[in-house]
Amino acid sequence: MTTELTEESVDASPEEGEEEKAEWSPTPIEITHPEHVEAADIHLFYEPAWKLRMTLRDDRSYLAVKVVRAAPLSSPNGYICFLDSRDEAICMVRDPNDLPDDQQKVVLEELERRYLTAIVHQVLSLRSEFGASYWEVATDRGDREFVVKDVSENAHWLSEDRVMLLDVDANRFEILSLRGLDRKSRGLIDLVL
Amino acid sequence: MPDAVAAKLKAAIGSSDESVLMHVATDLEEDRTFGERWVVVTDRRLIVIPANGLNGTQEVPIDSMEKVHQDDLVGFGKLRVERKGESPFTITYSRSRIPRFAEVAEGLREMSKGEDPAFPEEVERTRCASCGRVLPEVNGICPACVKKLKTLGRVARYLLPYKPQVAMLMISALVTSAIQLLPPLITRTIIDDVLTPRANLTLLFWMVGVLFAVRSLTLGIEVGFRYLRTWVGSNAIADIRSDLYRHLQYLPIRFYDRRKLGSLISRMSNDSDRLDGFLIYGLPFFVNYGLMLFGILGLLLYMNWRLTLLILLPIPPIVIGGYFMWERMRRFWGRWSSRWGRLSSHLNESITGIRVVKAFAQEDRERDRFNERNDDLRDATVIAERNWLTYSIATGFLMSFGAFFVWYYGGLQILRGDMTLGGLMAFISYLWMLYGPLRGLFEMNNWMTRALAGAERIFEILDAQAEPADDPDAIPMEKVVGHVNVRNVSFGYDRAKPVLKGIDLEVKAGEMIGLIGKSGVGKSTLISMLCRFYDADRGSIEIDGVDIRKVKVKDLRRQIGMVQQDPFLFDGSILENITYARPEASFDEVILAAQAAEAHEFIVKKPDGYDMRIGEKGNKLSGGERQRLSIARAILHNPPILILDEATSSLDSATEKKIQTALARLVQGRTTFAIAHRLSTLRSADRLVVLDRGKIAEVGSHAQLMEREGFFYRLVKTQQETTAVMAVGGGKGETSGDD
Repeated sequence: MTTELTEESVDASPEEGEEEKAEWSPTPIEITHPEHVEAADIHLFYEPAWKLRMTLRDDRSYLAVKVVRAAPLSSPNGYICFLDSRDEAICMVRDPNDLPDDQQKVVLEELERRYLTAIVHQVLSLRSEFGASYWEVATDRGDREFVVKDVSENAHWLSEDRVMLLDVDANRFEILSLRGLDRKSRGLIDLVL
Repeated sequence: MPDAVAAKLKAAIGSSDESVLMHVATDLEEDRTFGERWVVVTDRRLIVIPANGLNGTQEVPIDSMEKVHQDDLVGFGKLRVERKGESPFTITYSRSRIPRFAEVAEGLREMSKGEDPAFPEEVERTRCASCGRVLPEVNGICPACVKKLKTLGRVARYLLPYKPQVAMLMISALVTSAIQLLPPLITRTIIDDVLTPRANLTLLFWMVGVLFAVRSLTLGIEVGFRYLRTWVGSNAIADIRSDLYRHLQYLPIRFYDRRKLGSLISRMSNDSDRLDGFLIYGLPFFVNYGLMLFGILGLLLYMNWRLTLLILLPIPPIVIGGYFMWERMRRFWGRWSSRWGRLSSHLNESITGIRVVKAFAQEDRERDRFNERNDDLRDATVIAERNWLTYSIATGFLMSFGAFFVWYYGGLQILRGDMTLGGLMAFISYLWMLYGPLRGLFEMNNWMTRALAGAERIFEILDAQAEPADDPDAIPMEKVVGHVNVRNVSFGYDRAKPVLKGIDLEVKAGEMIGLIGKSGVGKSTLISMLCRFYDADRGSIEIDGVDIRKVKVKDLRRQIGMVQQDPFLFDGSILENITYARPEASFDEVILAAQAAEAHEFIVKKPDGYDMRIGEKGNKLSGGERQRLSIARAILHNPPILILDEATSSLDSATEKKIQTALARLVQGRTTFAIAHRLSTLRSADRLVVLDRGKIAEVGSHAQLMEREGFFYRLVKTQQETTAVMAVGGGKGETSGDD
């Protein structure tokens, strides 16, 4: 049996020497929880003055709400989740810019209250002894000394140039750009990381 | 507390009879920059004083406190005191202070309820008292203050059991060093007394004979020396490995929670290998070279002290350079070691999880990750070796300066008649012999640095606090009846996040308790605490009226048997696995246990029956077979207290029925704690304990709890609905028999 090639079938076949790429898409899954909420329907306010409350337009209100980042390290500026008082997810906003300005301000303030990572600007001294490294650094929050045990396990590389260090108590210190540090700091770090 | 802060506190309290119960410093300012503030709890109020006694003291009366929370936020902690009609009062601190503030929060909570607070009196040490460095662990040891010589001393202590052999090693090193000094003296005699005057044939004959004897003797001693050093070194390192393994067995589960397996195995293999090399080759050479160095120097000074001083000129810069290089090389090798650990961890993980890697076709990704780590290790090795090479070449060049001096000044002295040709030749021979040990001792520096870095990593494990089994006051525990009393137990893996909050539960001997609750509510934690894998932060657990912290851990664990969801079996025969807890059990007992566990039937069907080797983690058996083996193991162990942790999950209904039958036999007459997500499997329990958010939500029999229509009832209904949905949607049909 011979098959006549139509123009359509010729177009659909891959070019000679070109790798065939199968089209793949995930089977759609219906998500029921947390439900999808439009950013415009979210209203955040303080009631009383120290408790964050959230009302979904024409729907319901949550008396105590927490604002968290879904991926604080890889997507710190997006994917903002709202949790109720039992830490159950209520909804998520992919881009906080979709929220009105005053609501964005509330979200940013709440995030600021929840996360603390000192940004290292300079390494003042660094010694490595007995499987632990002793750091003395200047950060955006002032100078600080800390100890990192087993650096290979407690240095989390967020990119080739960006690293987060967890000290023995899981305090966080982030170096936003290793290349951006001064020469002495880089030299000290190079001997440890 | 600094004087300025103490003065502020005094001013705040005044002359009243108010008493200070606790004080602690935070390390964050209000704006969360790093800085100190002092938090003082008195019997009437909470006072916060800024560092250096600055103005801005804040206070909260205890009677205005409604609720006290400790919030565990990302990267820091917050003490939050809710007040009547006012905004909450908060104090923030870094994660380092969380355990201390957990105590403050608990104390304030008790005080706000009108109870007496229990503040711990112990003051935590976060810095070394002698050098002021931050300690790696609160109340821990300062590794910087552990001297290098001390580490070397600790390694040397492993040689003590082999004193006679070490003594022989030392004697042979001494004799070898002395003999090695003879040939240049003989050469001098030959040149000065035979070759220069062209006479004394007999003397030449004797001198050559002595040279031959010296060489032969050196060879003989060398053979014995090498054999001895290998024997002593291998024995000492075997002892270190044995100590390390033994200690690893007795370290608390908490130690393993925080570490990667590969990194621990690397200490066992890599670090002990380096120490092995040092003990077998390094240390004996060290002794030999040291003796040679002193011997040669002595002879050179005796022969011509002026010339000796000249050739020693390059030594000070070499020694000073070596000192600085020591520090540098230690870092390089430290980095090399940590990269080895990282590679080893990855290797361990990817090989252990090879099925998952293959199932998701991630071989290329894993290869790339491995290559990345491998490249890092290669770079670390190259950098370390390159630095060392540069240093050794520079050292060698400096050392060769000595030879120029000797030829020039020695030549001059011969021309003046102050020195003989033989003397000069002997001098030059000794000079080269001097550089050998000198270079060797610097190589030793490198060798020793690597070995000591490895030794330190090994000692770090050996110094980690073992389980409290070694408490000298621990009492033995005879076979118990099985009356368990959990009294007000609170516990958190991280003290800021308590998993169990004030659990009270009394279990009669022989009673079967079903523990129920969502994932993460603390069911397995409670069980782990019963086995003393973890100790309660507050409260106690008693068995037959004795606090389990006061008995020997081994005795306690002998009373408890465990059947887990995914039982761990060892690579060995079925027989060895069943008798793991009781190796002395007779074969008849084993068969009885296997029969009771419904395992006998499948075992005898195997070609090698009870002698079948089941492979690593029992991978040659099915899930149900592994489960029944672990039940047989527990039956043979015959403990008065039994733990069933999800023992019947993930099995088909026919196998589950067999296992249920086996379990029914096993639990008879034993105090049993059973955890199961499938609520139907707990029908036979005498009482069900429902845990929610770390507290006991409900207790009662299956029927009572269903009648009460509370938490348990809702769980059952939810599960029924889920089962129905799964059945409709094509889920596991066999689970439809659930409640």
